[in-house]
Amino acid sequence: MTFKNIALACAVSVASITAGGVSAADFPSEKPIRLISPYGAGGAVDIAGRILSSVSGEFLDTRVDVVSLSGAGGQEAIQYVRDADPDGYTLLITDYGPLVTTALREDVGYELDEWVPSAQITEVAPIFFARADSDYTSLEAWIDAARAAPDTISVGHGRHLSVPHLPLILLESEADFSTIHLPTTGGSQALAFVLGGQVDIGASVPSTIQGGIDDGSLVALAVATAERVAAQPDVPTLRELGYDVVLPAWYTIFAHRDVSEERRAILEEGILAALESDAAQALGQRTGTDVQPLGAEASQTAYLTTIDNLIAILDHFED
Amino acid sequence: MLEFLNEALALAFAPEVIIFACLGIVVGITVGAIPGLSGDMAIAVLLPFVFVLEPAAALGLLVGIYKGSMFGGSISAITFGVPGTAGAAATVIDGYQAKLAGKPNRALHTALYSSIIGDTTSDLILIFLALPLALVALKFGPVEFFALYVVSLTLVAALTMGQVARGIAAAALGVMLAMIGRDPITGAQRLTFGLPELSGGIGLIPLLVGVFAVSEIMVQIARQWAARRVAHDTAAQGSDSQAYDPAADKMDWATFRSTLRATMLGTGMGTFIGALPGAGASLAAFMSYGVAQKLSRRPQDFGKGSLEGVAAAEAGNSATSGATFIPLFAFGIPGSATAALFGAALIMMSITPGPTMMQNNMPIIYALFMILIYANLFNLVASKLLLPVYSRLAMIQPRFVLPIVLGLAILGTYASGNSVKDVWMLLAAGVLGVGLRWFGVPLGPLVLGFIVGPGLEESLRQALMLGRNDWSHLVTSPLALGIYGGTIGLLVIFRLLTRARRTPAKGEAS
Repeated sequence: MTFKNIALACAVSVASITAGGVSAADFPSEKPIRLISPYGAGGAVDIAGRILSSVSGEFLDTRVDVVSLSGAGGQEAIQYVRDADPDGYTLLITDYGPLVTTALREDVGYELDEWVPSAQITEVAPIFFARADSDYTSLEAWIDAARAAPDTISVGHGRHLSVPHLPLILLESEADFSTIHLPTTGGSQALAFVLGGQVDIGASVPSTIQGGIDDGSLVALAVATAERVAAQPDVPTLRELGYDVVLPAWYTIFAHRDVSEERRAILEEGILAALESDAAQALGQRTGTDVQPLGAEASQTAYLTTIDNLIAILDHFED
Repeated sequence: MLEFLNEALALAFAPEVIIFACLGIVVGITVGAIPGLSGDMAIAVLLPFVFVLEPAAALGLLVGIYKGSMFGGSISAITFGVPGTAGAAATVIDGYQAKLAGKPNRALHTALYSSIIGDTTSDLILIFLALPLALVALKFGPVEFFALYVVSLTLVAALTMGQVARGIAAAALGVMLAMIGRDPITGAQRLTFGLPELSGGIGLIPLLVGVFAVSEIMVQIARQWAARRVAHDTAAQGSDSQAYDPAADKMDWATFRSTLRATMLGTGMGTFIGALPGAGASLAAFMSYGVAQKLSRRPQDFGKGSLEGVAAAEAGNSATSGATFIPLFAFGIPGSATAALFGAALIMMSITPGPTMMQNNMPIIYALFMILIYANLFNLVASKLLLPVYSRLAMIQPRFVLPIVLGLAILGTYASGNSVKDVWMLLAAGVLGVGLRWFGVPLGPLVLGFIVGPGLEESLRQALMLGRNDWSHLVTSPLALGIYGGTIGLLVIFRLLTRARRTPAKGEAS
């Protein structure tokens, strides 16, 4: 093989790639879309992705595969999507933890404005809970007790600065009280410690505590969303109780900003139609995922609001 | 009562459910036997099918995979000295030595029978005693977990065959390796030397397969080239030309009986540890192994191919398989990666794991119980049919088999995290393993330290946070005191027993 041949081969392949890029009419039916998740299989983000995956064929004219890349605390997934061809076939599905919190605390090698939401699948409510037979069966009881004896009541909240931890920080500064923040390996450990009586209060998401609420062993104290959540309609929001703490998490599908606007629009339309379908709604109901899709613009607003909130909290927490 | 039992029977014994369970068992044994691949991975890959299949069929498939892989892990542990799954790490210690001593068939059969006994007992305890055991498990907070992990580190002595100082050094190295990555409390990166690849820590699969398998392969290759002994590790005793006599390697009743005690100890230990959220199958296997050695009539044989060692480790890891569902079913707490995957599968079937699950979904949960029990039987039959093949395979000359095993290990490790980084980690762990073998450092304690390290650190720091940095908080819990006291008692009894028997097994000075 001479140099000429190699050059020719390269030219041909470049031509064919560009040709592929030009025919946007085929997008996204040329190959499967890969939805890269920074979490392991079986988690809530993974299940949300699989709901889209189960109904995608009809609405996106292609298959959607959920691929889990949980290495390096989820950064592998983000880097993978960033390094992929910006052809719209490799997308990121995540909550704000690995994408935003980590980026604000560490040198991650990307800028937050590199990511453009295609659609938000669902909003997730951080929720505070306690044992039904404890002294803290209402938010007020907990806060009063914590004010009376600072740093004695313990709160298990998942990882440090995780989705349920940040509202706790915000609430303490808003309501002026302080507790022992106990990082746990996740919501299930927080749940185990609350049920076992080692920890007084837990912070997690509704799906973690559904079983305990159903059988009456747990009480939910409040949620950190703007509106009450469908899964726990009787639980007040923090705002209703007089504390301006609204810090929901979201599971959102992101494309890199280098993906053409035309393709991003096609993706948004297809994903929204898929998630709004009866089939997706039924799967959401079945898995306890409140599928409430938001389009690119509304998702972008939620993304930017979250970034602002996180910057404020982290500044406050780390100074 | 009878109505829902009939319904459950119809669900559990529907032909497609039985077919899926059998299919799951075969897939499970295969992925379990391939180093790096595990049942959890196969379950994760097949999870989307839960949306498509009937709930009972999906559960049959997942249960089959889980049970098959539990035993499958021991196949490569015994035949090649490579733990097929994390749970089989303790099986390597005696299983591989037993194979080198010319008894692969007996070792594999011991592993199978103890595995099935442990698994079935654990399932029965899940069915009949879930709630009381779960209530005990809930009593385990940071203080109690810390006690458990501290006690498990005393097992180093059991894993070192007399070389206690080297064992402690190896365990410390294991704990240190486990600390690379992220601080469990603050989430900050540490010990990563600025390498982003290390920010997620070192995976158990690359470390395990690397230290045991890749280093073994490197040593074998070096031996072939240099034609002299590189490692004084007993693993090198296996002679390539050793004649294998299948007739002399028959599993008989006497052999089975001699391992029964170890199996029972492993079953008890595994069931208890399995019920504790977060403790895991590998810890259960190591603790069973350690306790069985201490209470054995022939403790000096452990580490040299003792079938009791194989039985204890296998019963220990398999007995976690039913028990791991106890906190999930009783309180909705997934205590292990497997339980989390089953929890996800149940959620995808719109069954909420937790206290109300039983009454809301009586027929399907009882069908699941039935599947758990009969899958053990299928596992026994399928494995029994496959074992003669495996024990023959075990005796093929290593130079033919090892490259294939290495290839599978690399593929399996890559697949376990979709990450090339893990493959580099695997090879680095292999080099580390060669170094350790060179200096005669036992590998078991390193792996134990690596497995126990994260839990030990996290529970200690959680306990101190809850006790507001007062160290005396660590001895305030009666349960923790009981764990410490019981262990000291056990060590004293063991000391007296060995003094009575007095078998000279001095470690060489290091």
